[in-house]
Amino acid sequence: MIRSDRSSHRYSLLLPVLACLLLLVATACGSSTSSTATSDASGAGTADTTSSATGSEGTPAASPSSDATPSVLTSGDTATPSTAASDVTLTLYSGQHEDLAKALAEAFEKATGIKIEVRAGSDADLANQIIEEGDRSKADLFMSEEPGQAAALDAKGLFSPVDPSTLALTDSRLNPKSGNWLAYAARSRVIFYNPNLIAEGDLPQSIMDLTDPKWKGKFAYAPSGAFVSTVTYLINTIGEEKTLDWLKGIKANGENLQKNGAVRDAVEAGQIPFGLSNHYYWYILAESKGGPDKMTSKVHFMSNDAGSLLLASGAAVLKSSKHQAEAQQFLAWLAQPDGGQKVIATTTPQYPASPDVKSTMGLKPLSDLQPPDVDQGTFGDVSKAKELITEAGII
Amino acid sequence: MSGPTTASSPVGRSRRRSQRTRPPAALTILALVIALLSLAPVGYLLLRGGLSPNLLIHELRSPTTGTLIIHTITLTACVTAVCIALGVGLALLVVRTDLPFRSLWTVLFALPLGIPAFVTSYTWVATGYRVMPQSTFIYGLRGAVIVLSLAVYPYVYLPVVAALRGLDPAHEETARALGSNAFTAFFRVTLPQLRTAIAGGSLLIALHMMAEFGALELLRYQTLTTAIVQRVTVLSAPEAARTLSVVLALGAFILLGGDWLLRGHAAPTRTGGGAPRPAAPWRLGALKPFWLLVCLLLMALALGVPLYSMVNGLVNALTHSGAPIDWAELGAAASYTAQTSLATALAATLVALPVSLLAVRFPGWIATLSERATWVAHSLPGVVISLALVYLSVRWLYPFYQTSALLVVGYVILFLPIAVGAQQGGIVQASPHYDNISRSLGVGPLITFLRVTLPLALPSVAAGSMLVFLNAGKELTMTLLLHPTGKHTLATALWATTNGEVLDFSSAAPYAITLVVITAVPAFILIRHTLHPTR
Repeated sequence: MIRSDRSSHRYSLLLPVLACLLLLVATACGSSTSSTATSDASGAGTADTTSSATGSEGTPAASPSSDATPSVLTSGDTATPSTAASDVTLTLYSGQHEDLAKALAEAFEKATGIKIEVRAGSDADLANQIIEEGDRSKADLFMSEEPGQAAALDAKGLFSPVDPSTLALTDSRLNPKSGNWLAYAARSRVIFYNPNLIAEGDLPQSIMDLTDPKWKGKFAYAPSGAFVSTVTYLINTIGEEKTLDWLKGIKANGENLQKNGAVRDAVEAGQIPFGLSNHYYWYILAESKGGPDKMTSKVHFMSNDAGSLLLASGAAVLKSSKHQAEAQQFLAWLAQPDGGQKVIATTTPQYPASPDVKSTMGLKPLSDLQPPDVDQGTFGDVSKAKELITEAGII
Repeated sequence: MSGPTTASSPVGRSRRRSQRTRPPAALTILALVIALLSLAPVGYLLLRGGLSPNLLIHELRSPTTGTLIIHTITLTACVTAVCIALGVGLALLVVRTDLPFRSLWTVLFALPLGIPAFVTSYTWVATGYRVMPQSTFIYGLRGAVIVLSLAVYPYVYLPVVAALRGLDPAHEETARALGSNAFTAFFRVTLPQLRTAIAGGSLLIALHMMAEFGALELLRYQTLTTAIVQRVTVLSAPEAARTLSVVLALGAFILLGGDWLLRGHAAPTRTGGGAPRPAAPWRLGALKPFWLLVCLLLMALALGVPLYSMVNGLVNALTHSGAPIDWAELGAAASYTAQTSLATALAATLVALPVSLLAVRFPGWIATLSERATWVAHSLPGVVISLALVYLSVRWLYPFYQTSALLVVGYVILFLPIAVGAQQGGIVQASPHYDNISRSLGVGPLITFLRVTLPLALPSVAAGSMLVFLNAGKELTMTLLLHPTGKHTLATALWATTNGEVLDFSSAAPYAITLVVITAVPAFILIRHTLHPTR
């Protein structure tokens, strides 16, 4: 009894404190909701500070504004003068690596004065978010890592057409036939192999061979977006039945490591001889290790095979955006060799989509790759691929 | 945010003197409203596009689903069992034995609470590659059970420590006096009194395991939740994901029902003063070094592995000439994490009170249903709850969409059961006799609650807030979808540095360490609370 008396005194002091804190929170929440209308302004403020903090590195595209802006003004029919444009803040939903998305946003702001707020996530999370938001989406721009989600949103009719002069700036193999999104970067499907466990000459000629029991336990894969795109490609080229057989073979022979990063790490560590993945994962690790020569594993590019697909990263303007002109201006800048393409070439081991820009990351040149011919827009319909992948028991 | 402010008032609204068994109508209504709100994500599952029985049958007949269900059950059962063993064992070790440095161990054992499970698994995978690159020991079920148990056992450990310390040793002494030996007395008298604490913690762990994603993806073990998330993120099949989520929610209902049946309903209340005092400790004797070694080893695994990777990464980040630490971003993320977590802790505490009070003081089917309802969301993948909130708020609460307020609402839905669970323990121990005395002296029910019940239960209520704070600080999946554009929490900032693609921790380390420091504060207060010496 004595104790509870004492403690009740002690805690009765706490109650007013709790109440005060509650009040604080209530006002904070209240103000945060009431400030949504002005959140553009405050958000722009934070974007400003971060850009000044990191803007010094990796954004060499600051100077050519003289070059980029005029071309945009001639191509965009209703492009606003740059003085007015600086009032606009665009919201970009980006499935790309956040570093790259932010570097692009900062360089664009330096070039045009238009601010971009980046909402980073995974392709699918953001695409789902856009779908659930419907025509009240907060996004002006969408930027994907893989062609799948860009093509899927396109198929739902959510994108405005991209200015043709913008599309003309990037590799024609990469842009979708619909013309509603821009291929601004690309990744190649590859094989990572560990030379201590398998010689390059002993690797399969085609990923179609992997159903052979002799490869059992020899390779890893990850059911990523690019894997789904591979399946879609196979369905469109060899038909559902053969694709399903292939998937069952992959399931039986391969190790499902869930993530491309895990495929790379397992091959590099020698847990498994080789794995199917995307080229840039290897270069990311190489960079963090201090160079390609520090890597045990190697990259093997296949030719004219489902295992050498070139997959485009897509950027698009949302139909629901109230800033169509400025958003198109971003796409135009993104495709410019001196604009976004230069940023991509210097900040990520992904391929810039412009034929005139070479990556500084020591990649095999884009022109030397031998991908199969495919319309990137076909990767949007994953309904068949989805069925087969679940039927084969991979996801 | 009107919910929390009204949360504490309803008890006073009913003018009639309530008969002992019937709760005040306002309390009932409030609890039901809260229950309905926490079921909103499940409602979304059923209503968004309608639940098609065909799709459900199709998903159930898919060749993977059976395996996934078995995997989910196996993982949940194993982790829960290991956590109960670890949690109760360690609690006994620090409360009831003469283990050296007991206070230090009590604190250390609780600290894994502050490290998000996805960070723990991250560092385990990274350490695995460093120490034994070719081994796949830490992957699959074995790895998942080891790593996740080490990350979540404190949810059993902490309440059991608190319960053990609060126990009146008189019961056990009486049993001893009646001829039982120490172990029989413990198992027959003490352990049953720990049942509520153990059940609450292990239920939380079981539901968490059903919903865990990030750690399992890294540790290469597939469950229903990993399949659900992959259906959303890889296959762009949200309808299939929702259907599988219904299966998961059904599992949660079964678990919650089973737990309720097994828990028993004899609520032990102390009638008299019996001031809690330390029971006579069990002597470890010659086994002392052995137990010390066990403790050391355990902490090396649960704390050493993650902390080593973080510190190593931080040293890299500070010495490496590459990417410098972005202090402004770090500071902004830290303060935003602290703010949202604090708001969540307070809101969840207030929202949980009516539910806890009703469940303990006025047991009945309404009380049971509303209490159980708050737990369901905890078993659903964060992606599903977030999509539900995106969908609902875009349509009906657009001004709230992508504001911190909605993020906090999401956190509250997710972590409400943590607060409810903790509060119930405290309210159970606050004997209703004191309420009755207060009422008989002419004090109204609201004032009685505020001046008698709440102060008596406050240690547990506060503990619940701390736990919610911790969890909100660590949350990743939901935050990624609901955060206001341009704002980062420490967890999302950490995620952005690695994108789940690089195991090198140098750019992630500053965020991870700050997160651990911030969550260590409530963890420490929590422990101080349970440690507070009883004189």
